[in-house]
Amino acid sequence: MTVTPLQGVTHVCFGLSYLVAFLLECGRLAWPGGAWRWLGLGFGTVGLLTHTLYIVFHQPTPAAPYGSLLMLAWVLALFYLYGTVHHARQAWAVFVLPVVILLVGLSFALVSSGGVSPEFGVPAWVSGERLWGVIHGTLLLLGAVGVSVGFLASVMYLVQARRLRKKLNPGRVIPLLSLERLETMNRRALFLAFPLLSAGLLVGSVLLRHNHDIGGNWLSLKVLSTGGLWVVFLVLVYLRYGSRVPPRRLAWLSVAAFVLLLLALISAHPFATGGAS
Amino acid sequence: MNLRAIGCNVQSAAVELREKLAFDADKLAHALAELPARYGAEAVVLGTCNRVELYLARPEEEAAVHSPLIAEFLAEIHNVPADDIRPHLYEYADAEAVRHIFRVASGLDSVVLGETQIAGQVKEAFEAALKAGATGPLLNALFPAALRVSKRVRTETKLAEGHVSVSSAAVDFIREVFDTFSDKTVLVIGAGEMGRLTLNHIKELKPARVLVTNRSPERAAALAAQHNGQVVPWDRLDDALVEADIVLSTTGAPEPIMPRRRFDERVRPRRGNRTLVVFDMAVPRDFDPRLHDGDRVSVFNVDDLNRVADQAAAERRKHIPAAEGIIGAEVTRFVQDWARRQDGPLIGQLMAEADRLRETILAPVLARLRGKLTPAELEYVEGAFRLFQNRLLHGPIAALSEASRSGHAGTLREAVMKLFGLKG
Repeated sequence: MTVTPLQGVTHVCFGLSYLVAFLLECGRLAWPGGAWRWLGLGFGTVGLLTHTLYIVFHQPTPAAPYGSLLMLAWVLALFYLYGTVHHARQAWAVFVLPVVILLVGLSFALVSSGGVSPEFGVPAWVSGERLWGVIHGTLLLLGAVGVSVGFLASVMYLVQARRLRKKLNPGRVIPLLSLERLETMNRRALFLAFPLLSAGLLVGSVLLRHNHDIGGNWLSLKVLSTGGLWVVFLVLVYLRYGSRVPPRRLAWLSVAAFVLLLLALISAHPFATGGAS
Repeated sequence: MNLRAIGCNVQSAAVELREKLAFDADKLAHALAELPARYGAEAVVLGTCNRVELYLARPEEEAAVHSPLIAEFLAEIHNVPADDIRPHLYEYADAEAVRHIFRVASGLDSVVLGETQIAGQVKEAFEAALKAGATGPLLNALFPAALRVSKRVRTETKLAEGHVSVSSAAVDFIREVFDTFSDKTVLVIGAGEMGRLTLNHIKELKPARVLVTNRSPERAAALAAQHNGQVVPWDRLDDALVEADIVLSTTGAPEPIMPRRRFDERVRPRRGNRTLVVFDMAVPRDFDPRLHDGDRVSVFNVDDLNRVADQAAAERRKHIPAAEGIIGAEVTRFVQDWARRQDGPLIGQLMAEADRLRETILAPVLARLRGKLTPAELEYVEGAFRLFQNRLLHGPIAALSEASRSGHAGTLREAVMKLFGLKG
């Protein structure tokens, strides 16, 4: 198979672009000025483009940990660009980009540690035999987007609430969205993520029950952490709509949910077969 | 350049005098008609609550207008004895006048350092003078330059950043908590002056409702009428707090009107998860400070707001050297550009006159030598004359440029014109 120069794009290309964009955003906060912002946006856009090319040419499966992480990072990179353009004055990128870089780094670590060799061409996971595994992975991935957005909104909420508790001068701290906006963002993310996670988990449970070869994986880290994530979300939904818990506690729970999500994503996937697991 | 900035401000004159010297529309129109007619000067009158200043530019060869004359002019316009005005007037000349208007427009000469309102007032003053036909080439260049410098100072330094008043600091805190205000209710408890001022700022956020409660129903009604609000009886304070999102409390009560226990028992359970921001402007305080958690309830007292305002002011002061640096560079640039505009035609005229003289002398010489010398030798002779001319003019042109850079080229310009027989 002929490999085009664009197929030579690696994790390093977009990982470094995001890193430079992040550093430039930090620079913009320290020394406000137009050039930082545009340079940061430039590098962020280059990162997203190369990230897209990588996904287009390597077609990683969302049923595999490295693929899930990479695609989640891609969606969050889109979220970063949207937020940076839409909330120009806010310190949006300094919160979102570290998560994107972390996810790209984890994906890179999984690829580097062996067992995963992304191939070019038609992805095997499109074939019918793994369709339900892919549906499961895709539902969890979309749920993961909600979890990640909820996590980012929660981290920003906690920072903002801490500043208010300390009564810090709003003019001397990095600009953030209001508590009200962050709470709304967190609520919407929860609203999106919970049904997707539930459906993904349901599909996964059915698959696991019918796959006698992997029956022992009920106690695997992947299944346990995904189950734990769902339970945390159930608690979050209850606390959000059924009781009067201060939003700060809900934000901490969203952070815990994200940690469980990462754990679930980097654990070996019980439904994926082939090189992905 | 023959420019003067003459006037008084908060440092040089008490408010009583500044009030007497304030220009209303009629007086301004009269002044803008009289100044050019009487003194042959371009004129802009800048009048704000903190200053009254006249910017006057006359042709270079004419005498400048000085402050005693302007004191008499102001005395005549405002019907105030000139002797009362004269000691309070300051006068800046040429480059220093340019620096003064640049500093004024940038907020460096304002009571509230870095305030941005002054740039709009400078613009309005210039536009009024322009409309009245009172400006000319110098002021038409100076005022747009001042506005450009003001913008540069604001964008390149943090001189205008942060809010330096207690009311605006309160609005800053509100914006950290809430995003939309069309569904918010503001509750004003008491009718203290600080509360009124802060309410004026908060009303700019366009909240859905303003509720007012006071032990005195009459005072509550008066304040509510001023702000299109609703009066809530004092004994329904708890109910009003349940409905409120933003509270301004300014009672003169000797004890807190909202101790923690009362809030936790009667208000908090009925508020659900809604966030409350309280500005407790009262001394002694109206709200128990322990209610503050930065999450569901944020309570800011007058010290918190003063601290934020003071920090912003201190932060702004750090940027004075940078702002002065920009202004210094812009003054030099303006003076040089103006001098170049003034010197350009004169130098052109001087060069043309020298060219004419050289041609007058050289043409018969070359005619006589033609045929006796080779074309290369003739060209050499012509070049020697040209070199002589350039060397001769280098001194006067360099001296003129040097004097223009310092903004004092008027006399030298006249001397060059006389020495070389040029017409202005």
